[in-house]
Amino acid sequence: MTPILAESAAPRSRTRRQSFLGQIVAMPAGAIFLVFASLQIVCIVGALLYPDEFRYLSPQNLTILMKAIPVLGCLALGAGVLMIAGEFDLSIGSVYTFTAILMASLVEAGLSAFIAAPLGILAGLMIGMLNGQITLRFGLPSFIVTLGGLLFWRGAVLLYNGAVQVRFDPEPAFSSLFAGSLFGINAAFIWIILFVVGFHFLLHRHRFGNHVFATGGNRAAAEAIGINTGRVKLVAFAIAGGMAAMAGILATARVGSVQPGQGAGLELQAIAACVIGGLSLRGGRGSIIGIFLGVLLIHTITDVLLLLRAPGFYLDMFIATLIVLAAIFNHLIERRGLA
Amino acid sequence: MSRANLLELHNISKSFGALTALRNLSFHVEEGEVVGLLGDNGAGKSTTVNLISGIHKPTSGHLSVDGRKTTFTCRSDSAEAGIETIYQHTALVDSLSITRNIFMGRELTDRFGFLRQREMREIAMEVLQNAVHISGIDSPDTLVGNLSGGQKQAVAIARAVYFKKRVLLLDEPTSALSVRETEALLNQVLKLKGENVSSVLVTHNLYHAYQVCDRFVIMSHGTKVFDVQKADTTISQLTEYVVLT
Ligand SMILES: Nc1ncnc2c1ncn2[C@@H]1O[C@H](COP(=O)(O)OP(=O)(O)OP(=O)(O)O)[C@@H](O)[C@H]1O
Ligand SMILES: [Mg+2]
Repeated sequence: MTPILAESAAPRSRTRRQSFLGQIVAMPAGAIFLVFASLQIVCIVGALLYPDEFRYLSPQNLTILMKAIPVLGCLALGAGVLMIAGEFDLSIGSVYTFTAILMASLVEAGLSAFIAAPLGILAGLMIGMLNGQITLRFGLPSFIVTLGGLLFWRGAVLLYNGAVQVRFDPEPAFSSLFAGSLFGINAAFIWIILFVVGFHFLLHRHRFGNHVFATGGNRAAAEAIGINTGRVKLVAFAIAGGMAAMAGILATARVGSVQPGQGAGLELQAIAACVIGGLSLRGGRGSIIGIFLGVLLIHTITDVLLLLRAPGFYLDMFIATLIVLAAIFNHLIERRGLA
Repeated sequence: MSRANLLELHNISKSFGALTALRNLSFHVEEGEVVGLLGDNGAGKSTTVNLISGIHKPTSGHLSVDGRKTTFTCRSDSAEAGIETIYQHTALVDSLSITRNIFMGRELTDRFGFLRQREMREIAMEVLQNAVHISGIDSPDTLVGNLSGGQKQAVAIARAVYFKKRVLLLDEPTSALSVRETEALLNQVLKLKGENVSSVLVTHNLYHAYQVCDRFVIMSHGTKVFDVQKADTTISQLTEYVVLT
């Protein structure tokens, strides 16, 4: 439904008299918000009408949703900031697993989780910086460099740990900090909300965010005006790696163990969430709220299909359709911006 | 050198691989002087402007500011020396608003780096109205990608005029401007000269150059072929040098 909205909004904006819907669509993340809100209304009405068949509003279901969202949320926030800066990181799924295994095995060896977790994040930051250094130093497409990273760190997990799962037994304080709950709200969900708010201010209200948008939007212009675009990109790479490690902490604290294969495909879901949320693959466009709505949308659709007992392949087909529609819609918006 | 000039280029050469864009180029800009940098397509004018802005580094030779030898390693260095540039290919980011473009890289922030958005917006509004009159822009929140070519150029001019300190480099600033906006820009250059700000104006329009410049530097194939005070030359002589060298 989004492309239709775009077409009807375009001519109106030229005459500067936009309908209410048109105004929302024109806002950053406005279109994705409309889609998300409509879906929520349909789900809530459905759940109220058929409370026994469609248990969308049941406490169990809401808890499952709140627990699932933060992991993809962290990955997508990091990947999204990097995408706005004009680069990709395909290695975050592998980095997520690698740093989680690193943390879990350090705890198993007797280290406090409060020390192991920051070490995991540090490892994520350093891997991100390494991706950035290689990409920038040799002027390579980050797509290729981080594709290498995806395979390398996946292999490193097996080298370091073998194909067995690692148990994660942190002290209780650590568990309640990342997997407990506050006022009935899941701790991981509170973390992701904090991250969304923090990233929103960093990207949309802080000098650094302005430099990220400038670097991704027009690198030559940013350079010509005195922005150190290499450094901006490097920091963005580090953020992507660090947030991958953060996702690893949240997932591991929740499950109590790490599977060596658990991160596979998550990098693509994170990029999908970003594209659905309105980020341009060329960089320079997008919003944090959009990224988060993209994550929420992916998980809501997953959840609804599970509740409807649809086979798993429907999920993939749905997400695929959504990504392509979102990409088309973004493209239309961009062309309008350049006209 | 008896008296230090504001800006001097000493025997500057610049190669891009096998191509020599500048060779042995020397000229100077005095305080409060408007210099017209003229020459055919590919003569090396933009390369010169980029070099003074710190975007390119000379292959040999050097710059000096106030008589002191200087090397600009990046754009921030030249900004620090008081140099402000309007690039031939307007250095703007389409996906950002006019305000954010004007303050790009020089954001007003609190001490934690958070943007003082209201203040920047007010200044942007004022700058847009005063520096050059820009037709048809009603809000500084408009995305630059939605502007016309001339409006974009006007935003780039407004930005440079707002941040100007000592030298303003203008690389074909009028190429997309309307007649009225061009007049406004040329008047702006003269007004800045009154405030002792120097300008280097690159243009293919000799009439515009003749209207505001005190001196002309004509380049051909990467080097200087003529350097003359306005009083000592005519438009037809300038034309001859540009066309025939
Ligand atoms: N970044 C670059 N890499 C390689 N060659 C370049 C680069 N920039 C400029 N050149 C070459 O240097 C020469 C001078 O170019 P420059 O842009 O300075 O000319 P110009 O005098 O500004 O011309 P115009 O009036 O068309 O703008 C040209 O031959 C151009 O191809
Ligand atoms: Mg040029």
